[in-house]
Amino acid sequence: MTPADPLLEAEEPSAPRQRFVLDDRGFDEVPKKYRRFYRKWGGPGDALGANEALCPVCKIVVRSTRELRVGDRLYCMACMTRLVVVAGEGGRLEAQVVY
Amino acid sequence: MAHPLERDPHQLPPESFLEEVHSFAFWFDAVQGYLGDLEHGHRRETPEAVLSPLEREHLVTVLCNYCVGETAALEGAGGLIQIAPNRHAKVFLATQTVDEGRHLEVLTGRLRELGVEDPEAEIARRGSRSLQEFHRRLLELVRGRDWIAALFAQNVVLECMEFAVFALHAKRADPRTCEVLSGIVKDERRHMGFGENELGRRLRDAPYARERLRAVRQELDALVLGSFEETMDAIGTPRADRTELGSHYLAAVARLGFA
Repeated sequence: MTPADPLLEAEEPSAPRQRFVLDDRGFDEVPKKYRRFYRKWGGPGDALGANEALCPVCKIVVRSTRELRVGDRLYCMACMTRLVVVAGEGGRLEAQVVY
Repeated sequence: MAHPLERDPHQLPPESFLEEVHSFAFWFDAVQGYLGDLEHGHRRETPEAVLSPLEREHLVTVLCNYCVGETAALEGAGGLIQIAPNRHAKVFLATQTVDEGRHLEVLTGRLRELGVEDPEAEIARRGSRSLQEFHRRLLELVRGRDWIAALFAQNVVLECMEFAVFALHAKRADPRTCEVLSGIVKDERRHMGFGENELGRRLRDAPYARERLRAVRQELDALVLGSFEETMDAIGTPRADRTELGSHYLAAVARLGFA
């Protein structure tokens, strides 16, 4: 982490985060070593996991090894976008672009 | 346990992330994943569909227009390398130039597969006048060394529209055309992401540039939207499905601050 980075990981609340083992879902648009961190989005009926967020720029699902919380930083390598997790409508977590 | 090379990208500092995704090595490893086994942009064993004369005629016209757009993108990306403000952007645009050259090649190859003997002549004959005008204006912006305007025209206006149109067309296309377009869409994701993010950073640091881009947008939107509307007619996209076409582009410009 970079000290000057405003998107430092969100402070850990008391409840521990759920951890996830990511599998390769066949997303072939990034180098092999990063593939398990991304998957294709199945459209509005595709429910996102607690460790997943939809990239608003290119509509690829970005995945993390841990449960996401507000303030977390994510990167979409498919479209080279830096994202931050925010609380959207109804408190649902979503990713917002940070230029 | 994860393979040692399987790094968690989200732990990268922002500077390292930008260095990684703009590198030639990243591009090379990424495109190998989906282009490795293709011949002329599709799998060798993918069968040629039987098209009616009218369907073939429409498809040839549409592909000719895609070739006009890809030629503009090829010449635009190559020219942008000279005026890009930093090494990341220059190297990325070099990879984009290669992508655009490949797109033009596979689309021209598809025209040949459809029986077009002289694709260049056919593209000149059938290409949309508004797209040709867009091409001319894009190169003027590049020659004028107007980095933000040229990047906006190419990597936001043109790439966003191509991304949406090709993805929509791929859903209805014959198997070979579908594979060709799907491969191109994967490249377009990088191109439009690069454009939006680069411009987003520039506008953050120089918000006064937004007025300049507003004027460019007003001039170029109509040229690209009009030509893609014609394409939608040619491939028979129902009106209801066309909202998807514009919504992607409109969302991108809204994120950049153009309401």
